[in-house]
Amino acid sequence: MPMFVEDPANFSKSRLKSDLVAHNVKLPPAKSKKEVYVELHMQHIDQKKTVEFSSDEEVEEDEEDDMEGEDGENPGDAEMPDPSALTDDDLKAALLKHGVKAGPIVASTRFLYEKKLRKLLQSDGHHGQLNGAKNGMMYSDSEEEEEEENGEDNDAESSAEEENKETVEESDQADEESSQVQAGSQSVAANVYSSSSSSSSSSSQTFSITEMLKEMEGRRSLSTSANSERAFNGGNVQHHWSQSNRLDMPSVVNRTMKNQSLYYTPKAFPQEREMQEPVKDDFKHLFPAEITPSGIYATRRRPIKGAAGRPIQYMYPDTPVSPMTLQRRDVERRLVPVHIQILVFVTVTCLLYLIYVCVEDNTFSPIVSLLDNLNPGSNSGEALLHKTEAQDTPALSEWE
Amino acid sequence: MSSTSQKHKDFVAEPMGEKPVMALAGIGEVLGKRLAEKGFDKAYVVLGQFLVLKKDEELFRDWIKDTCGANVKQQGDCYGCLKEWCDAFL
Repeated sequence: MPMFVEDPANFSKSRLKSDLVAHNVKLPPAKSKKEVYVELHMQHIDQKKTVEFSSDEEVEEDEEDDMEGEDGENPGDAEMPDPSALTDDDLKAALLKHGVKAGPIVASTRFLYEKKLRKLLQSDGHHGQLNGAKNGMMYSDSEEEEEEENGEDNDAESSAEEENKETVEESDQADEESSQVQAGSQSVAANVYSSSSSSSSSSSQTFSITEMLKEMEGRRSLSTSANSERAFNGGNVQHHWSQSNRLDMPSVVNRTMKNQSLYYTPKAFPQEREMQEPVKDDFKHLFPAEITPSGIYATRRRPIKGAAGRPIQYMYPDTPVSPMTLQRRDVERRLVPVHIQILVFVTVTCLLYLIYVCVEDNTFSPIVSLLDNLNPGSNSGEALLHKTEAQDTPALSEWE
Repeated sequence: MSSTSQKHKDFVAEPMGEKPVMALAGIGEVLGKRLAEKGFDKAYVVLGQFLVLKKDEELFRDWIKDTCGANVKQQGDCYGCLKEWCDAFL
């Protein structure tokens, strides 16, 4: 429950009375003015509170001053002590100060906004130590990362590198045991990662950026990367995918590796991501241009439709066909095949040509020979011959 | 998320009415049960929370993670589903 600003002047007379009674303070005469009550209230009750809750007193004073007092950026110290102690309005104002336009602070949203304010306060303290890369990432999944933020990102990175090398060895051992692909990818990734991290140690932000990217893309195409790693296990081409897998859910890591040390490595890098959170950026803007210093450029790859965690062989029972293809196949089944059509066409053409030739009254001998060739039977040949002769004689007679 | 699941498409295709919370994309049986225990038994209640958070992605993801323990993918699916529904019907 938030503790409201205790300005006795705002209380009603009856409230003041009841408060005084509750604190065993002698009530003034019944017809006293409110101010009397207020004074008594402030004297006794506020004094009491200073004795018992000195820290809270400071909180109240701060709030009464409308947060004018400790408004400076105190790294490491919370400027607004304890977001839970603020009223709804104060919480909203505090968030607004950090550039966050908060919606209604209701019962269900209060906790979220408090959490947000805490994150902002912590990152304010650490902001000066970082180089302030403006990449507000999607926050990570494990909440313990906040507690681990101590502004020692360089130390974290170096320790992470050491842990990387350790886990590489451990993961190699586990690799032989487990048939999981991700274990293999993790070892590969750890190898590649430690090498790349050692090469460019100064760019801690780029790692965090690449981590963000890899994680986002890894989330999106988790199954595709798993499939691709089956094909390219150990290939550098897919190293960024494997990185994303490695940085993926610590739960996944635990499941595959059963190795607690590996659990820390993903957290080390998301730390840096956490610190850059206050700048609210749409993560889609991350993709262009900012990743080049380390040489790792993550291309945005369209995930395979419907892959969503399911292996491809279960998704499509047969080869994928469109409805049009199916229709076409049905139609084709009923129609006559093409080559038979051509054959029939050629045959019909020949027959028609022959008939034409029969009817035609041009040169006689080639036709006869042609007919003889085609009609080996003498009867038919004679019949045709007679026919042609009969036809030719009128033609010849016509010519003359 | 460039690809959307069938559940997402089904949800976004029509007003949600009295659909249970498990009709939301990303919310399966387990998560649906957890949400229902917290009082979010219908999809419109989750919608209410989504709107109160002013459709903010980060806050909504935070909230749903805290409430039912959804992972990043599930959070994203649910957020995308609700957002698209709002774009279509709200």
